[in-house]
Amino acid sequence: MLARALSWLVLLLVTQLAEATEPYASTYSVRSHADTLVVNVSVLTGTGEQLNGVDVLVSEGRIAAVGSDLSGDPAMRIDGSGKWLTPGVIDVHSHLGAYPSPVLSSTRDGNEMTDPNTANVWVEHSVWPQDPQFGLALAGGVTTMQILPGSANLFGGRGVTLKNVPSRTVGGMKYPGAPQSLKMACGENPKRIYGEQSKAPATRMGNVAGYRAAWAKARAYRDQQQAFDSGKSDKAPDRDLRLDTLVKVLEGEILVHNHCYRADEMATMIEVAKEFDYKITAFHHAVESYKIADLLAEAGICSAMWADWWGFKLEAFDGIPQNIALVDQASACAIVHSDSAEGIQRLNQEAAKAMTAARRVGMSVSAAQAMVWITQNAANALGIGEATGSIEVGKAADLVIWDRHPFSVYARAEKVFIDGYLYYDRLDPTRQPARDFDLDQTVSEEAR
Amino acid sequence: MNPLISIGLLLTVGSAFADVAVIGGRIFTMESPEPIERATLLIANGRVQAIGVDLDVPFEYRQIDARGKVVTPGLIESYSQFGLMEIGGEAATVDSQVVEYPLGPGFDVSFGINPSSTLFAVTRMGGVTRAVVAPQPGVDPLAGFGAIVHLGGGDIVTATRVGLFGGIGATTAEFTGGSRSALWQRLVTAFAKAGRFSANRYRPGERDYSRQDMQALKDFLRADVPLVLSINRAHDIAAAIRLAELHDLQLVIIGGKEAWKVREQLADSGVSVVVNVFNNLPSNFESLGARLDNAALLNDAGVNVLFTAGNTHNTKNLRHQAGNAVAHGMPWFDALAAMTRNAARTWGMDDVGVLSVGSVADVVVWSGDPLEVTSWAEHVLINGEPVPMRSRQTRLYERYKDLKTDDAPYGYN
Repeated sequence: MLARALSWLVLLLVTQLAEATEPYASTYSVRSHADTLVVNVSVLTGTGEQLNGVDVLVSEGRIAAVGSDLSGDPAMRIDGSGKWLTPGVIDVHSHLGAYPSPVLSSTRDGNEMTDPNTANVWVEHSVWPQDPQFGLALAGGVTTMQILPGSANLFGGRGVTLKNVPSRTVGGMKYPGAPQSLKMACGENPKRIYGEQSKAPATRMGNVAGYRAAWAKARAYRDQQQAFDSGKSDKAPDRDLRLDTLVKVLEGEILVHNHCYRADEMATMIEVAKEFDYKITAFHHAVESYKIADLLAEAGICSAMWADWWGFKLEAFDGIPQNIALVDQASACAIVHSDSAEGIQRLNQEAAKAMTAARRVGMSVSAAQAMVWITQNAANALGIGEATGSIEVGKAADLVIWDRHPFSVYARAEKVFIDGYLYYDRLDPTRQPARDFDLDQTVSEEAR
Repeated sequence: MNPLISIGLLLTVGSAFADVAVIGGRIFTMESPEPIERATLLIANGRVQAIGVDLDVPFEYRQIDARGKVVTPGLIESYSQFGLMEIGGEAATVDSQVVEYPLGPGFDVSFGINPSSTLFAVTRMGGVTRAVVAPQPGVDPLAGFGAIVHLGGGDIVTATRVGLFGGIGATTAEFTGGSRSALWQRLVTAFAKAGRFSANRYRPGERDYSRQDMQALKDFLRADVPLVLSINRAHDIAAAIRLAELHDLQLVIIGGKEAWKVREQLADSGVSVVVNVFNNLPSNFESLGARLDNAALLNDAGVNVLFTAGNTHNTKNLRHQAGNAVAHGMPWFDALAAMTRNAARTWGMDDVGVLSVGSVADVVVWSGDPLEVTSWAEHVLINGEPVPMRSRQTRLYERYKDLKTDDAPYGYN
């Protein structure tokens, strides 16, 4: 365990050093904090287990020990009796900062709806760190988010994983070492947006032709670059920012997060990935994943889903509240996501509703297992599952103390730690961040 | 016809309308904050016949075991588009809004409510039994008249013209040239003119209300139903209170993100507010005061608070609005009353929203605390009839719950 923790630490340092020299690198650093011991607390570990009445020690940004009667004299000691400790909540599908509040034409920066392929755009270049919604999500226990571009395009651009910390720059929020993602979109949105302009794609078959043409180009671009690098060719290809992104997917550096509702379309996307030899990390929204949960398990693709959204568009008409549990039951990776600045504040309740819908029909789902849907599975889909997402020794101390069982509608996040630092305390107004936009204007400081 | 078969048919018909006994539950009648423990509810002819402890249950009554369960009146959604919207993104299935044809206050949603909508079965399984069906603001700040439905199928519209709906805000202001002031002027002028409207003398200009609209406004001013306005900014809510007082109208505010700022005025004027608890985003310069404890603050000041799920497809989550209001300071019983007794009273339903002798038997038996995210509705009765726990969603679940069935080719289960 210790070796694993150390190796992670080394990896983190190496990536940080490497990144520091690169443009757009993360400038986030772990804030120093006092050693913290939470005693006699109930824990949902994020690995599918529940521990009752244990102590958890946090030191230097990490979980240092989990056990009973932990000794030591930490600077901060928190009585956890009657409270619950969980990993920080992770939302794999958010647009905070890119679609901030207030929602105005001048703030809508999430969807570059100018071409069906905008793999060249990076959503981090839209993220407004002063979005007051970040603070609201923090009060809901969210420590990490993937911000994605919108779904108008076949290739929407690069997504970014952020830590939910106040910062003047997006770089100060970027999760060190987390891979970027490529947002792709199936179905109604691309064909509607471009079809209405009498441009391709206007149909679902047009969508697929668009993906295939782009991947074919990306492979040719990669081959030209490799030929140049190995001296077989004396002409390097002209740099193409779209193809740069796609090639990084082919090379496994960038993870594909694919907006896709219908089962048949997800199956088609699995074929596209097969044809061009890339990996789909997760289908997002995925309201019909329950229809092909076996295929998703076999392909090792996560589904990021809502607990119960349905019917707002035809491709969401077959959404059922057992979707998440059925995917989980099939041993496929199930994640609860929000795609909503309101929903992100209550992902614990969303997981609870999905668990309850399953229990209602007689499926057996424990709270400990349902917690995995908003923690470890989410971390895995973001490529940071070794670093965060569960309460295990050596992992980042991204933690939430809830005032009661987090799957109660009455539960509220009381304290939220990111890398061990107390970024939010419901009981202490001085530990509740305000964005610039909040100052003397919103009620954030008085009523989280 | 074979006499045996005809008797069988009679029995079948008879059992479908059987009287019901809900036995042994913790019953919240909503007439008092205290429940009646281990109580029995007898239902005959669609209404509550008796309620109490140790009641004799007539043998022919269908029995529902509610021991260890919570029993409440069916829940009432105070702002929805049931029967007017099947697929939000498909205009051909949306009838809640007049988009181009200039129809303002004359619009009446009740003609277009589709009782076969899939949303009804999904929602009633979640314990919601009645709903206000409202038009959405279209080309005019006055959107038209709403109706009330029950979710039990068949002849579902129980009342029409239950309120005149509209909206004041950045979105509706676009229809009056982009200014909120112009919007208010249009409304104030329309109400002033409607009082002395005469169809023969009225000569509408190009952007004036039609005769049909003016007649509807005039009728509204004489009817005893509320003006229902979607408003978020505190200053606009205060202006709406003044307009309502000028014309002696009941006022209901939908949304009211900043209503807490004028809660004393709202309480003094007897204005009701339909709150979407989750709306705490400063998503516009007219809602920078949005907060999670809006409902609690309003309720504490004596304002009549009601709830909306804010999303017709997921109206089954209405009770979680109430639960979250409680998490942020609203008393539990008040939050339940906001979806039952108080909603019924506000919308002119005298005999629903409570469980008392003679009231309509909309009843829900819950597996636990009805406000919780871990409970569910085990039995739902509408007009005294148990509704089937079946919907398109349950059919899809049954079809796909076990992907390994090889008994029949795909598509035959």
